[in-house]
Amino acid sequence: MDDYLQRLPGFVDVIGSAMETILTNILLIGQIPAPTFQEKVRTAVFLERLADFQVDECTTDGYRNPIAIIRGTSRAKPPIFVVAHLDTAYEKTVDHNYTVKEKTISGSGILDNSVGVGALLSLPEIFRRLELTFESDIVLAGVIQSIGKGNLRGIRHLLKTWSTPIRGAVIVEGGELGRLNYYSDGMIRGEIICRIKKTEGQAHGTKVNAILVLNQVINEILELRLPQRPRSEIIIGKITGGIKHGVSAQEAKLGFEIRSDSDKMVRMLHNDIKDIIDGISHEYDVDLGLSTVSNVNAARLKFNHPLVKAATQVMETLGLNPVSEPSESELSIFLSRKIPAVTLGVTHGKHYLDQYSTMAIAPAFKGLAQIIGVIMAINNGVCDER
Amino acid sequence: MGFAMNDEWIKTNTFHYARFCDLNQVMAAKEKKGVTISLCLPTLNEEKTIAKELVILRSELMARYPVLDEIVVVDSGSTDNTRHIATSFGADVYNADDILPHLDKFKGKGENLWKALYITKGDIIVYLDADIKNIHHRFAYGLIGPLLLDNDIKFTKAFYDRPIAIGKNKIRPTGGGRVTELVIRPLFSLFFPELTQILQPLSGEYAGYRAIFENIPFPIGYGIETSMILDIYHKWGLDVMGQVDLERRVHRNQDTKSLGKMSFAILKTFINRKVQLNLIDLKNEMFDEMIQYKLIKGRIEPDIFRYEGHERPPIVEIPEYREKFGIDTGPQH
Repeated sequence: MDDYLQRLPGFVDVIGSAMETILTNILLIGQIPAPTFQEKVRTAVFLERLADFQVDECTTDGYRNPIAIIRGTSRAKPPIFVVAHLDTAYEKTVDHNYTVKEKTISGSGILDNSVGVGALLSLPEIFRRLELTFESDIVLAGVIQSIGKGNLRGIRHLLKTWSTPIRGAVIVEGGELGRLNYYSDGMIRGEIICRIKKTEGQAHGTKVNAILVLNQVINEILELRLPQRPRSEIIIGKITGGIKHGVSAQEAKLGFEIRSDSDKMVRMLHNDIKDIIDGISHEYDVDLGLSTVSNVNAARLKFNHPLVKAATQVMETLGLNPVSEPSESELSIFLSRKIPAVTLGVTHGKHYLDQYSTMAIAPAFKGLAQIIGVIMAINNGVCDER
Repeated sequence: MGFAMNDEWIKTNTFHYARFCDLNQVMAAKEKKGVTISLCLPTLNEEKTIAKELVILRSELMARYPVLDEIVVVDSGSTDNTRHIATSFGADVYNADDILPHLDKFKGKGENLWKALYITKGDIIVYLDADIKNIHHRFAYGLIGPLLLDNDIKFTKAFYDRPIAIGKNKIRPTGGGRVTELVIRPLFSLFFPELTQILQPLSGEYAGYRAIFENIPFPIGYGIETSMILDIYHKWGLDVMGQVDLERRVHRNQDTKSLGKMSFAILKTFINRKVQLNLIDLKNEMFDEMIQYKLIKGRIEPDIFRYEGHERPPIVEIPEYREKFGIDTGPQH
């Protein structure tokens, strides 16, 4: 067994001894609201914390992604990126003050992605306690404008403008501990808006109902034949519309996502939906618009890629059972640029999608040990072998 | 009638916490003065917030920067998990009734703060409420900074823009301080105009030298903040006080009836102080009951809140305290 793997189980207790600092990082960053496109204050705190931990260089790139660099011992080795997205799905008016209990922390956006960012902020202190140094520079990046309409703009810009090769990357998500993402589906996330054309003299418009029109759109989407290979799916994820119970809806909006491991299939399905919309728009005489919210290309590491094998070994050494699913996130952008990368989860949680989401404290120490193990594997050269 | 007050204080003795955010500087000043610092959190059923306060304060002001020498929790008999959680997150936890147990027992924040003087060791004591939802270590170092870096200041008090938590998970951006504006500020304006410069006299976060706290009486309940200001002002003057802008504090909203009870206690404390300081004569005793009304099944029923206004003497007058801190045990006045 590699030397670094043997050391990993011993890391967990040392990381646990930094519990107060790790939790403080999660709390101080997570309690600052940061809806997508409004991450400025969280960015400032991110940099303040890392500067306070004596990280060598703390700055923002041209797109205002905060980054900090822990200088490595070899100038010849390309940097290793550790990335967590800063933005959350919650508006500023939502209470972001977390509740800490004996074994858990709860609150808005804790799992997506306060834990991830807090873990990243804690790495310099954990490296110090473990007396770890690396040949590569370690670039700690909190990327902005990631989720939803952010469309991964932060990471796209960071990688587009980064001037040197990148050795490998670890993307840190709050949960779920045990995830090992190394491939991304192609994806298009779109919105369909239906607006009923106004007719003069009719206080409530025509009798055409925008929600029923979208219902027809949904029915026709569901009738599309999806192949088993390449693996493909269309998710109807959001619907809003109407004003009150007794009035036909004049406007309605539908959010959907097309995913496939083939970019070509994603484009074909997108075109099919466009045809459906054109047809229904003509048939019902309504304004029916289709817009793309975000999109990524399919990309993957093979299962036998040394990084995937090393990450699997790291997790198994720590008693974790790796679970692999596609992930459409920062991972997609690294992989599409041929930079080996994996996404890992820090801890276990529940109620991921609501304001009372909850993280478990104790498993996070193993989650952090796992992240450090993968960084050490990259530093040892697992991404250099091809 | 107008009053030519010293209005310079608000300019010279008002600070922003950011001035003290260089914790290396704070630690150097602490070392230079050779003082120790204790932090006290008085609690009563604070299981939702106590752990967070302890985690952040211990991480930032004990583990990373040893500004604090101890953190103690003095509990009034919580029926939830406050004490267990506080212990598990590393605090020294005391039941208020177990401190100086031979004395009469009272329940109230002032009681906890007073007893904390007996069990803490620090030359400087920092008092923070345990229900601060947006706790940050600035709440402590902001109050400590002026005490260490300004030789004249012996007592600091927080002020902030206080958003109120309303309903489920929503924050109203401004508000709070209703009792301050409707009760305290009019009283100060009428009797002690200089004290109106203290922007939030009721804030529950303050710090000071032991020599200040041990020499003033502590009302048991709501009146503690008001009496503390009046006593320090009377004994040492305004210039030993400072106030610190801690920016934002999120706290639980209280209904009007609760604020009425708080106002009753504050008014009683204030008037008692005026009498004790020979500033007014009271021809009749004040009553101990605040009478409010509530509607029960169509009938209007009185809802009585009793506040006797018990007060602990300056703790320096307690023999056990004098013995513990090696103070001359001669007769006390």
